[in-house]
Amino acid sequence: MIAITLALRNLWKNRRRSLATLLAIAVGFAAINLFAGYIHNVYFGLRTSAIHGEGLGHLTVAKRGFFERGSLKPERYVFSPDELKRLDTLLRQQHGVQVISPRLSASGLVSNGKLSTIFIAEGESPDAANRIRPRVTAHLSADKPDAGLLSQGLADILGATPGSNLVTFTSTLAGQTNALDLEMLSAWNTGTAATNDKSLRLPLAYVQRLLDTEGASRVVVLFDDATDANAARAALAPKLAAAGFDVDIRTWTDLSNFYRQVKSMFDLIFLFLFSIVFIVVLMSIVNTLSMSVMERVREIGTLRALGMRRRGIVSIFAAEGAALGAMGCLLGVLATVVIGNGVNFAHITYTPPSSSNPVLLSVAVLPATLIGTLLLLSIVSMIAACWPARRAAHIEIVDALGHV
Amino acid sequence: MSLISLQAVSKNYRLGNIEVPALRGVNLNIERGEFAALWGPSGSGKSSLLNLIGLVDMPSAGSVWLDDHDTAGLDDDQRAELRNHAIGFVFQGFNLIPVLSALENVMLPLTIRGVARKTAHAAATRRLAEVSLSDFAHHRPDQLSGGQRQRVAVARALVTDPLIVIADEPTANLDAKTGHQIIALMRDLNHRLKVTFLFSTHDPRLIDEVDRLIRLADGQIETVAEGVLQ
Repeated sequence: MIAITLALRNLWKNRRRSLATLLAIAVGFAAINLFAGYIHNVYFGLRTSAIHGEGLGHLTVAKRGFFERGSLKPERYVFSPDELKRLDTLLRQQHGVQVISPRLSASGLVSNGKLSTIFIAEGESPDAANRIRPRVTAHLSADKPDAGLLSQGLADILGATPGSNLVTFTSTLAGQTNALDLEMLSAWNTGTAATNDKSLRLPLAYVQRLLDTEGASRVVVLFDDATDANAARAALAPKLAAAGFDVDIRTWTDLSNFYRQVKSMFDLIFLFLFSIVFIVVLMSIVNTLSMSVMERVREIGTLRALGMRRRGIVSIFAAEGAALGAMGCLLGVLATVVIGNGVNFAHITYTPPSSSNPVLLSVAVLPATLIGTLLLLSIVSMIAACWPARRAAHIEIVDALGHV
Repeated sequence: MSLISLQAVSKNYRLGNIEVPALRGVNLNIERGEFAALWGPSGSGKSSLLNLIGLVDMPSAGSVWLDDHDTAGLDDDQRAELRNHAIGFVFQGFNLIPVLSALENVMLPLTIRGVARKTAHAAATRRLAEVSLSDFAHHRPDQLSGGQRQRVAVARALVTDPLIVIADEPTANLDAKTGHQIIALMRDLNHRLKVTFLFSTHDPRLIDEVDRLIRLADGQIETVAEGVLQ
């Protein structure tokens, strides 16, 4: 108790210095939490974009080897209609399944009669596609089997508008040239510059006709939001293997290179930022308490002469460090909430690299991160205090009493 | 058996590569209830001797006995505990904790010992009354005069009912009148409470106040004058 009393009163006595240290901790705390809140929203946006925008769902089931060699020998990795039916039955037994969507990809040329350009197409059933992408405004229509969606950049290149008639050219799985008429339903923005000028979304039956097959190369599964994709994969793999399927199951994070790259970049930046804040907090506390020890050598000597043990002296300065850390963090919580809400209220937008859309700069205030950072920085502050505190405790009493 | 017994005690300090002797083979006994003074010029070894008796320093040779116990084998924590229970300190510079009130400063040795706040409060209040500072209980040290600060220090030294109070130059930072008042106060407490006092001074005006005057010179006891006051 005496340690806390002395710690708090000495902090108050040197309030200008204490305030400077508190501000250093608070700024560091707010920087960590604001950035954590920002990347949390970025990750959430990218996750939503990958699962629902790109339509990756939570899991993709394909024949083993498809992901490595499927583009070279696509005919080897196509599920037959019977296999698709059996897969559908097995997958629907899994808890939390919302949508099962067989997919077939194709690439080739698309032409408006005057101009031809390359396309990459994704064939899926209109109903499944619309349920996986509920927020996308451009939808496939079950009533129009020869109509598809063009990415905005591709539509611009071809000068196509809804209702425009186009032609798609490609090779069937057997290697024959094939062409089909295509009506443009509408355009959508893929969100990434790399794909926005060449993407098509088509009905599965259309792509099957284009490739002359009745099968599909993979099956995408969407679970409810609470489902952990890795856990679902772990549960599914033995069931499918037992049913005779030699398949490779990938989660959406496995398939979204962009998500993984962005996440690893932001995680690294966060680690860098956290390391800097960690060092700043550590040095601020060590510096403040070292000064405090220097100024209170006689006081330390007096306390020791009156019977305080070395660990009692350590506890005084450890309490001072912990109090500085805790108060700095509380100030940091306040700063995080105020600045975070200020940023969200300001509706600031920016266009990230390789994105074709401006996005909203938003910051999530994350209670778990706030509490975690508060505990961590308080402990760091206490540990930082230990070095000057131990030095104080080991000053010889005679030297301390004679200190001027 | 004496309350304090020093047997062939020496203390050397190291200044660079040179060993400087501060005390050389000192033998001294302090009896219970004594009011004794160490007298001598600066550098004679008064403070070194008080530091050894106060268990804040270790002798280079010889032994220090307190209440029939050899203090040589005690570890740091045991020495701290013994200081807290058996010894009261009054310092030349008062050494009050600036962020604590007069009352809290007096309570401090009991607080360090872990005594309940209520008990410590009652004991400190009583000791402050004994040094006539009840009205200043909640004043911080910077709101007290030098004499008042030293009275608080005396109250703090007495609050644990120690076997001995050690005062190193208690009047050095006070004017002559206040210095005499502090010595008179200590003397009065010595008479009334039977507490042993040992203080150092080089002020010749104070030597008439003591039971026994121990003269130090060059780290050795030169003379011991018994019954000075009588």
